[in-house]
Amino acid sequence: MALPERRRWVGNRVLATLLIAAVASVVLLPFASLSPNRLVSGQPVMLWQALAGWQLAAFALIGLLLLVAALAGPLPRRLALWLSLGATLPLLALDLQALGAYAHGALADASPAARVSQGATFWILLFASALIAIDALQRLRLGPAGRALYGVAALAVIGVCFSGELLSPLSIMREFANQRDNFIDQLVRHLLLVGGALLPALLVGLPLGLLANRRARLRNGLFSVLNVFQTLPSIAVFGLLIAPLSALGRAVPWLGELGVSGIGVAPAIIALVLYSLLPIVRNTYSGLAGVSTGALEAARGMGMTPRQILWRVEIPLALPVILSGLRIVTVQAIGLVVVAALIGAGGFGTFIFQGLGQYAIDLVLLGAIPTIVLAVIADFALQILVSLSRPSGTR
Amino acid sequence: MIELQGLTKTYAGKNVVEDVSMTLETGEFGVLIGPSGCGKSTTLKMINRLVPLSSGRIILNGDDVTELPAEQLRRRIGYAIQSTGLFPHWSVARNIATVPQLLKWSKSRIDDRVDELMAMFHLDPAEFRHKYPHQLSGGQAQRVGVARALAADPEVLLMDEPFGAVDPITREALQAEMRRVHGQTGKTIVFVTHDMDEALQLATRIALLNNGRLVQYDRPIEMMVKPADDFVREFFGQADLGLKLLSRRWVHQYQRPPSLTHHATLPGLDHCWRLDEAGRPIVLEGARLDDQHQHTDVRSEWIATPEMSMKEALSRMVWYRVMVLPVVDETGKLVGEVGMQGIMGIESNGGLHAGGPAS
Repeated sequence: MALPERRRWVGNRVLATLLIAAVASVVLLPFASLSPNRLVSGQPVMLWQALAGWQLAAFALIGLLLLVAALAGPLPRRLALWLSLGATLPLLALDLQALGAYAHGALADASPAARVSQGATFWILLFASALIAIDALQRLRLGPAGRALYGVAALAVIGVCFSGELLSPLSIMREFANQRDNFIDQLVRHLLLVGGALLPALLVGLPLGLLANRRARLRNGLFSVLNVFQTLPSIAVFGLLIAPLSALGRAVPWLGELGVSGIGVAPAIIALVLYSLLPIVRNTYSGLAGVSTGALEAARGMGMTPRQILWRVEIPLALPVILSGLRIVTVQAIGLVVVAALIGAGGFGTFIFQGLGQYAIDLVLLGAIPTIVLAVIADFALQILVSLSRPSGTR
Repeated sequence: MIELQGLTKTYAGKNVVEDVSMTLETGEFGVLIGPSGCGKSTTLKMINRLVPLSSGRIILNGDDVTELPAEQLRRRIGYAIQSTGLFPHWSVARNIATVPQLLKWSKSRIDDRVDELMAMFHLDPAEFRHKYPHQLSGGQAQRVGVARALAADPEVLLMDEPFGAVDPITREALQAEMRRVHGQTGKTIVFVTHDMDEALQLATRIALLNNGRLVQYDRPIEMMVKPADDFVREFFGQADLGLKLLSRRWVHQYQRPPSLTHHATLPGLDHCWRLDEAGRPIVLEGARLDDQHQHTDVRSEWIATPEMSMKEALSRMVWYRVMVLPVVDETGKLVGEVGMQGIMGIESNGGLHAGGPAS
């Protein structure tokens, strides 16, 4: 090959792009904002105005390390990836620490009503470190154990930052302090709603998936019905359920006592179950359908009973696909429960709709951020479970 | 011993297998062959009832197993298929142990049996026990598949085109291995293939099916020498069957005394050998197509030995353009000759495996 040699400067384009975005946001966008009370919008504060000298130096150092990791020349590829993965944890810690330290300093001699909120640069640095980590984890092809270890380390960094007084002067943390008991209640409520929807969805969906696999004639009808549920907007379903459920609650007193009524938990769970069915049934069906016919013929030919074939061959081989379905519906349900707050089912959506009503952005964030964190954790955990369920040979 | 009595399979009013009866003695290697759609695979699958019988009976070592629950029957019959059907989520050792586990053998007995089978198929247990099917080559996976089928020491082994999906070189190696394993275990084997080469390599009995009926069931050589009808003749006459036959024939079966004087009258065939003091052939006079009177120095490349296959001898004649090859003993002394005439002029005798070096 006599192609002219072109020198590549950039080894990792994703990392380079994220670095450019981070630097641009540091230069152009505020890191935090300072306002006299929770309802008026604040004054933008740039990163270099907010930070002490050592923090700026630390940011610069991390940026430099990431730059070295992004370039093609200086480091071997894997070392560069490990370096960028390693750099995300101090970046995350520094981002949080810097914000907390600034809030402490800025509020020390301000009025008690004054608030410090996080600005765009804070978020961009946070997301940049998350994306750098995801990119590095993928390129390094770390197994489930390595991924889990990184996830725990990142959670530990976040946990340490939140555990002390570091972040407590922030506006969002003061909203949290006001709502502390309520927050825990809504968290539990949120999780119960998700669990309460997933359990019946699995109990119904797994057998339906098996049925779709065994009875070709039922399959098309079943999937069209489930598809219809999936296409209905969630708010419409909540609305549609109000009339029949309140009638049911009134007509059957013991159901009413159990809490079945037009609004609240019952319609929320019913709607969530309906939404969860299609991915569960579809993935169970396609997981089973993906089991090789050769393996099935051999299993039969060697004298396994249908039950033995199901439990020893079909389910273990279909499990990764079934669990991917569970991953989809879990993340989906965590998000949908937010909307269910509209019909009084509770959960983190309560804060979001309250905050929207009061025009208190930090209260909205108090609902939105934990929802996102829950979804990310669930996604991450189930992803690890999926790869653990792969047949050991093919992992 | 396995007896099939009047096996019939009817799909939608049509008999895809009709009244197939045959008996395979213990230790025989029976091959079911025929054009595609002839019902050979269906017949095989009726033996372990993966395809339910419409009518007929199956007698296994004297027991009528036609009414036995299918799962119990299948645990007495080994089964190997083309796609191997290895369970991708189980290690090689666990795959081989499938039927012994179903039969609830003790762990130590299973372990011993797995090691024994892996040794029989030249799979080093230390290396392969814990591998997974996707880490195996096609040939290794197929060996594991056959080992698995033999694991519980079944009374009969059924094989459904087991080597149909591997490359030709691997297939030959597997066929040789199958002959060896058959010899070692003395298993009764029923084997389906559409490949005549494979059938001739392996079979002690061939059953030729057409349109769901058994056309002829006999020893391979009888099928070729005494075909029951034109269909059999044509089926065995496919492709280079004449050459295949020669690959199972040996020079000593066709050899005749060497011609040491000129006397033949046919053009190109008149020839005689000139020998040295030790009786080794050094010059061939005549028997060359280009110039029949030419004297040719005998070249070591076209000297035949009694153990050489006739296919190889023919190939040398064609390549070096000589009508006749000298046959020499180990000392190089001329003991006979074999020529084009001889190939056509001799009656078939002896079985396909008869004579020649054991392969």
